[in-house]
Amino acid sequence: MDKFWRRGWRGIHSLYTALVYIYLIAPLLIILAMSLNSGELLSFPPEGLSVRWYVEAFHNTQFRSAFLTSILVAAVATLCSALLGFGAAVAFMRLATRRQNGFRLAMLSPLLLPEILTSIAILIAINAVGWQPSYVSLQAGHILITMPYVFMNVVASLQRADPSLPLAASGLGASEWKVLLRVTIPSAKPGLISGCLFAFVISFDLFNLSLLLRGIGGITLPLALSDYMNWNLDPAAAAVSGTSVCLSILAVIIIDRFVGLRSLRF
Amino acid sequence: MSGAPPAAARRDFSWAPAVPALSLIVILIVLPYISILGASFTKAGPGGHSVLTVSNYTDALSDSFFYETLARTLGIGLTVSVACLLIGYPVALHLARLRSRWGGLLYGLVLSPLLVGLVVRTFAWAVILSDNGVANGILQSLGLTEDPLPLMNNTLGVVIGLTHIFLPFMVISLLNVLQSIDPRVEAAARSLGASAFRTFLRVTLPLSLPGIITGSILVFLLGISSYLTPLVLGGGIVKTIPILVVQSLLTTFQWNVGAALSLILACAGMLAVLIFLLATSRWRKIDG
Repeated sequence: MDKFWRRGWRGIHSLYTALVYIYLIAPLLIILAMSLNSGELLSFPPEGLSVRWYVEAFHNTQFRSAFLTSILVAAVATLCSALLGFGAAVAFMRLATRRQNGFRLAMLSPLLLPEILTSIAILIAINAVGWQPSYVSLQAGHILITMPYVFMNVVASLQRADPSLPLAASGLGASEWKVLLRVTIPSAKPGLISGCLFAFVISFDLFNLSLLLRGIGGITLPLALSDYMNWNLDPAAAAVSGTSVCLSILAVIIIDRFVGLRSLRF
Repeated sequence: MSGAPPAAARRDFSWAPAVPALSLIVILIVLPYISILGASFTKAGPGGHSVLTVSNYTDALSDSFFYETLARTLGIGLTVSVACLLIGYPVALHLARLRSRWGGLLYGLVLSPLLVGLVVRTFAWAVILSDNGVANGILQSLGLTEDPLPLMNNTLGVVIGLTHIFLPFMVISLLNVLQSIDPRVEAAARSLGASAFRTFLRVTLPLSLPGIITGSILVFLLGISSYLTPLVLGGGIVKTIPILVVQSLLTTFQWNVGAALSLILACAGMLAVLIFLLATSRWRKIDG
């Protein structure tokens, strides 16, 4: 009898889990399907398959310039947070254990504090000194939010590496630079790659911070999309969303191939 | 290494790589939070000078509309974190016990919404939940309802959207803890005669409590501070504190009011978390 119940319970559990996976993925699949619609309206199931709305979205100058702004902001944010996050991770590894907790807390504070509250605070601070939000504040905000991801992933990589390696290298006469170049950077590489990919995706999708800290004209893709959606809900918006979904899937696949998804730190 | 510097100088130098990162934290976290605190206690006085005041707080706290909005915001956060827990726990359990090659794919499936932007996910839910959207289309074609059900422009729509958006955070929090539970503990309970259900209730569930607490707090805080999803799926009818704050900053330019409102929400959120931690401390002591 127990076996019967166990099997039944397992069946219900599997079914429930399957339903949740569908709930998680369905909205993204529906958007992808709608973006490939050949008709005029957002409809599901699509009337016919075509990429015309992707072409349409690409020819929309607002979307195109917003896309380029987003790529630029995300690329600069990734590069800067790679440098800052890697430096912080190296310093973190050199700290005594009892000091590491405080340091980690400070480095992760941009993620632990609500993004919107931090953005509001930065906006008020900019206002207090009499400046206006501009590309600089937008970019700096993106670096702030993405830096913790690089830091966490690099620290995880460095902690997996043999801690005696740098000591051995410097003991064998390698200079500090050589140790950094030949030991520290190679051991940090998996975390650096996944941290950077994650940073890029996060920056590319950032909405609240961009809304509050952008200067005049500094419209990123999520801002353009939400603006567009206020006035028209057509397949072009779905196509822009579809591009974003594909980019994310690509990032997931790359991270999985390089370092494995489970090693990712949030 | 005969020319190595003395130990004290080396220790100073070891801090150096962290300086740029920490400077950024000071400039963009520490100083802004000081300035938002300052702004919430000042207002424009005569002649454009700011004067110290508590009126930003007292005005808000004596307004019944504000209490209503605050209660709604906290209520949405609470509902979403309970929903995420109920939906996410079985999935996390399933993922933690999965020993197949599909594990990576399913884990990717759980993560994928996290990597797709907030705007896209909110847009997707707007398309699904609207009156002539996908969900009502399916319900009507199945003959389950004649008129479209009001799934959007109300609190229900906001909760459905936010639950989807924050579910990955809950699953990951639970998964981290569930994976660290020694399977031999469960095996021991079973071999001592406990049923599968009893084993879950008395062993697995208490051991996963830290994950439940972390995940619930995380989702609650994310829920009360979300802006775009309540705005779009609430259709402008469901007002939350973040919506009021952004309005007061970007539309009416009442900086000091916005600062006070957001700090009240932050304090209320932290108070709720504190109460939650105190309420669960008894269980944590017994089982931890």
